[in-house]
Amino acid sequence: MMVPFGSTEAGMLNAAPLVPLLPLLGAALVGLLGTRMLKGASHWPVIIGIAGALVASFLILGAVASAQPGTPAGQPDTTYRLFSWFSPLEGLWFDVNFCIDALTAIMLVTVCGISLLVAIYSRDYMRVTETETPEGHEGGPSAAERLADPHVHGHQSGHHQPVPERGYERYFAFIGLFVFSMCTLVLAGNFLLLYLGWEAVGLCSYLLIGFYYQRPAAAAAAKKAFLVNRIGDFGFGLGILFLYLWLSPWAPDGRSPLDYDVAFATIHRLDTWQITTIALLLFCGAVGKSAQLPLYVWLPDAMEGPSPVSALIHAATMVTAGVYMVVRCGEIFVQAPVALAIVAAVGAVTALFAATIAVAQYDMKRILAYSTISQLGYMFLGVGVLAADSAIFHLFTHAFFKALLFLGAGSVMHALAGIIDLRQFGGLRRVLPVTYATFVIGALALAGFPLLSGFFSKDEIIHAAFAHHPVLGTIGLITAVLTAFYTFRMVFMAFAGPERIPAGTHPHESGRWMLVPLVLLAVGAVGAGYVGVHMKAGGFLGFIEPHGPFHRFLAPVVEPYAATLHARVGHEAAGAAHEGHVLMYISALLAIAGILVAYVLYVRRRDWAKQAREAFPVAYQVLHNKYYVDELNDAAIVRPLWDSSRVLFGVDRIVVDGLVWAVSAVPRVMGFLVRPLQNGALQSYGVSMTAGMAVIVLIVWLVSRT
Amino acid sequence: MNGDLFTLLAPELIVIGGAVLALLLGLGASPGARSAPRALALLSVFAAFLVTWYYGPSPAKPLELAGMRFDSLAYYIRLIALSVGALVLLVHWHLPHPAERGDVFAMILFSLAGIMLTSLANDLVLLFLTIELVSIPTYILVSIGRSDIRAQEAGLKYFFLGTLSAALLVYGFSFLYGAAGTTNLSRMQLSPAGGFVTIGLLLAFAGVAFKIAAAPFHVYAADVYQGAAAPVTGLLGFFPKVAGFVALIKLLFLMQPSDLLTAGWNMPGAAFVFLWVVAAATMTLGNVLGLMQTNVKRMLAYSSIAHSGYMLVALLAGPVASGGPLRDGLSAMLFYIVVYGIMNLGAFAVLALIQARGRPAEELDDLAGLGRREPLAALALAICVFSLMGLPPTAGFFAKVYVFSAAISNGAAGWHGLSLIVLAVIGLINSAIAAGYYLRIVATCYLREPVAEPIAEPRTAGIRLGLLGCCIAILVIGVWPGGLLYMSRLPFYDLSAPPAVATHSNAQSPEPAETTEQVYAKEMNS
Repeated sequence: MMVPFGSTEAGMLNAAPLVPLLPLLGAALVGLLGTRMLKGASHWPVIIGIAGALVASFLILGAVASAQPGTPAGQPDTTYRLFSWFSPLEGLWFDVNFCIDALTAIMLVTVCGISLLVAIYSRDYMRVTETETPEGHEGGPSAAERLADPHVHGHQSGHHQPVPERGYERYFAFIGLFVFSMCTLVLAGNFLLLYLGWEAVGLCSYLLIGFYYQRPAAAAAAKKAFLVNRIGDFGFGLGILFLYLWLSPWAPDGRSPLDYDVAFATIHRLDTWQITTIALLLFCGAVGKSAQLPLYVWLPDAMEGPSPVSALIHAATMVTAGVYMVVRCGEIFVQAPVALAIVAAVGAVTALFAATIAVAQYDMKRILAYSTISQLGYMFLGVGVLAADSAIFHLFTHAFFKALLFLGAGSVMHALAGIIDLRQFGGLRRVLPVTYATFVIGALALAGFPLLSGFFSKDEIIHAAFAHHPVLGTIGLITAVLTAFYTFRMVFMAFAGPERIPAGTHPHESGRWMLVPLVLLAVGAVGAGYVGVHMKAGGFLGFIEPHGPFHRFLAPVVEPYAATLHARVGHEAAGAAHEGHVLMYISALLAIAGILVAYVLYVRRRDWAKQAREAFPVAYQVLHNKYYVDELNDAAIVRPLWDSSRVLFGVDRIVVDGLVWAVSAVPRVMGFLVRPLQNGALQSYGVSMTAGMAVIVLIVWLVSRT
Repeated sequence: MNGDLFTLLAPELIVIGGAVLALLLGLGASPGARSAPRALALLSVFAAFLVTWYYGPSPAKPLELAGMRFDSLAYYIRLIALSVGALVLLVHWHLPHPAERGDVFAMILFSLAGIMLTSLANDLVLLFLTIELVSIPTYILVSIGRSDIRAQEAGLKYFFLGTLSAALLVYGFSFLYGAAGTTNLSRMQLSPAGGFVTIGLLLAFAGVAFKIAAAPFHVYAADVYQGAAAPVTGLLGFFPKVAGFVALIKLLFLMQPSDLLTAGWNMPGAAFVFLWVVAAATMTLGNVLGLMQTNVKRMLAYSSIAHSGYMLVALLAGPVASGGPLRDGLSAMLFYIVVYGIMNLGAFAVLALIQARGRPAEELDDLAGLGRREPLAALALAICVFSLMGLPPTAGFFAKVYVFSAAISNGAAGWHGLSLIVLAVIGLINSAIAAGYYLRIVATCYLREPVAEPIAEPRTAGIRLGLLGCCIAILVIGVWPGGLLYMSRLPFYDLSAPPAVATHSNAQSPEPAETTEQVYAKEMNS
């Protein structure tokens, strides 16, 4: 069903185009006027734009929630057309159209909500106090930034007023552009627009990772992210191409086969191998964007970008686009069981793999990055075992607590002038009380501590994984213990114990612009889980039962997954899979156990941790060096490519450049030959015109004769 | 729209009236009267646009009256000429000396009226007159108000060579008249086989080739573009070209059978070869010579030549009855010319806006470091140049997509189809060559250290507004090409779907005119 925007049928959903447009407008304003007029006030247009988008998102959420069956919004396959885009064939137009349902509404509210908080937080984060001396050992952004900018550094006046960093306007323009791209990706009603948003968020990610482009590490990280994503996106683009080629014959007259509703309604006409090919190619894109094995390597390096960017793009929103896409394409994936099994396996292995690496890292942001990869693995595991609603639920709760943790880490970094290595500081709980409190809340949620948001969502996925296959469930449980352990290892190292502050830094609690988002996110990290549960006597701890309003709201969207699950195990068993709270108690105990182990090792008996390291030096080294994957990639892929490219470069220099020179010489020589005709004399112009005409007539005559 | 000639010609009358008034007011002694022509010109263009819009596209059947034909092609050309014309007026806003304002704006309006009348002309004599009505004011505009010796020289050269081309054109028309026995285009059913027809067509094409700066009649372009003031050069890239291409379309339609548009044009083989060679030579010469320039105005002049070549490719591919917009060369050409007019005007508007070494920017060196000195102007220039290159998401991208896909998927039988594909390949290679000099402009703005301290001339709100309009249009069409494409398809629908006889019989017009289709239909029966 196709409904144009602006019609009364669309109702409140007419607000949808505003969601991407307002942040874009803010970004355009900052981009055009930032360096000249707005300067230090550049955050305002973007914050206001995102706030407007958030309001519109809530309107959409309300409209979707209150939609009556029979109205356009109440039907799952309604497409809202903004305008006709371009046409490859008579009557067939690719539209710019939106697909708006429960999934879209949830994603929009999440994206805009987190973006708003991050933009507010950035207002203070992207400023530097002039009196601080930059002595970041590991070269955190703030310190390096000031090193890179002689203006700020050399300006050692006495006052403490923080000033905007260099590139402040650029930063906010990119943030606005990112929100626009992400909302386009989420709202897209066809694969073409999805691809456009997909590439656009990748571009924003690249630009923001490389924000401190003066630093070689940041520039290299940006390049790495872009290149690794290209691999995934190539598959993704190929998948869309196959969709178009194979579905074109089945699309109804005048409808594009790339519109979601058309594609999902006609996909069953293809052979299973075709569906599997498409699903795997699409998943290839998700693996790149959502940093799963084997394409996860870019995400840890992406932490070279400013911390709020890590929180927004590389934890809460962009990296979850892969999960969103796979859930959105449920109709395709459920018809390709092999592809789904691969999704589940990749998710499970990535979750465990990344969690083990996180255990032996010292950079707070990198620990969080590996944790993000691990949590994304959980989400894919959830989708793979047909619990798509639980995966989206986990995506939703994860956005809150992971953004909170990244912003908390950013607050620490801000206080310590860019130092983020856990070996260099400790016992900060008194110095940064608010950061400490909110960070602990985020860590508890991530660790799966009972009654916090992460607990409910993660437990659902583990539950579904057990129902699917015990191995998957066991991996989920082991990862949960590791998660609790590495999270609190980080918390205790940073905040517990005697106060250790790097020389030369004067840590101080961050300002209000940074603390308010932290507190709000902490509230979300505690409370977000409760939209997904309902109260029921006899539930977990006597009163809580999983699968609440959130899942009911999402039910129409994940219908393909639910139907497949029912078909596989029977309705009874599918219902029974939700029953029983034994697993909830087990995972709660495991989370607490993980936290306790971390407490013992890093607060009570620090020497034990050291002994453990020394007892298993090989294991420690392997984990600390991230399984040597970067080195392996370097040796197996980058070096050979580099060497062969050197050979090719030689060939290129001599042979190809010669050829190119020869080819490009042709136009130049031609130009040189005709140039004398262009000597500026009127008579010769007349002659050349007439002569040219004569030559052409001669050609015409010669051709006509044959 | 009924048959009252004054009502039908209201847009043209408004524009010409505005021009006459502007000319008179410009002679006034008081400063107030002298500044009036600008506003008056803009106002009359808006009024004419509104009237045209209000009339809407032609009714089911094109109306023929007094040697004119009111159809969808005329509707489309009027609309685009008036919209781009408004931007042209804005870009000229600060150019003329107050004493010459009346002259300059009157000339622009006269030329604009000429374009609109060209689209209406249904008679060889009228067609010739209207094309000259477009050209003659541009001769004056090139040299007016510039004490610069080069401007005088350019104007003179332009005039003499223009006269030569007019002679060719009218000579060709005389052969066509001889072959048909009438000057009314609708009644001139020419057989492509006739010898007179071929000679007449070739001569007429040669005359038109000058207007659109196609090889080998392009030689004047670089000198004239360089000599004229930048806003005038922006105008030269659009006004004569539209008139020339409209004339070409009208000439090509002379030979179409009633069930036309099955696969491209029906025309003498010689004419096809002629246009093919001209298109290939125009694209190649334009880009190759453009590559060698260091003067941005000359560079854009050669780019203007090359773009005429691309449009010729689309025109040669011609309309196709079935398939869709990607196969319809006629609408691709009509789409392209608007996009080209806007992006070209925008690029020259930046040159008019930027001052370096105390005079309007012209050399590449003048633009060095513009990205840092004048970020907004540099951004506007980058948008226009990227569009000229054909990069998404600018309008130039879709314009090129439509042109080349029309040539490739035209599906004409035999060697026609094959040679069109070859032409498209030549065009694509040329697009790559062109990127060489377009990118040099952008790179100079952003990557080079300033040489001549370029600054935007202060108090030039008119140019800035015009430039903003160009950039917005480029981006809007780039994101939403559907709207303009729909408009540019109107003439195609008008031609491909012959009007029903019933609608004709109860027509309201006092002088029931015969349409082309009906003339053909009669012939078929007899």
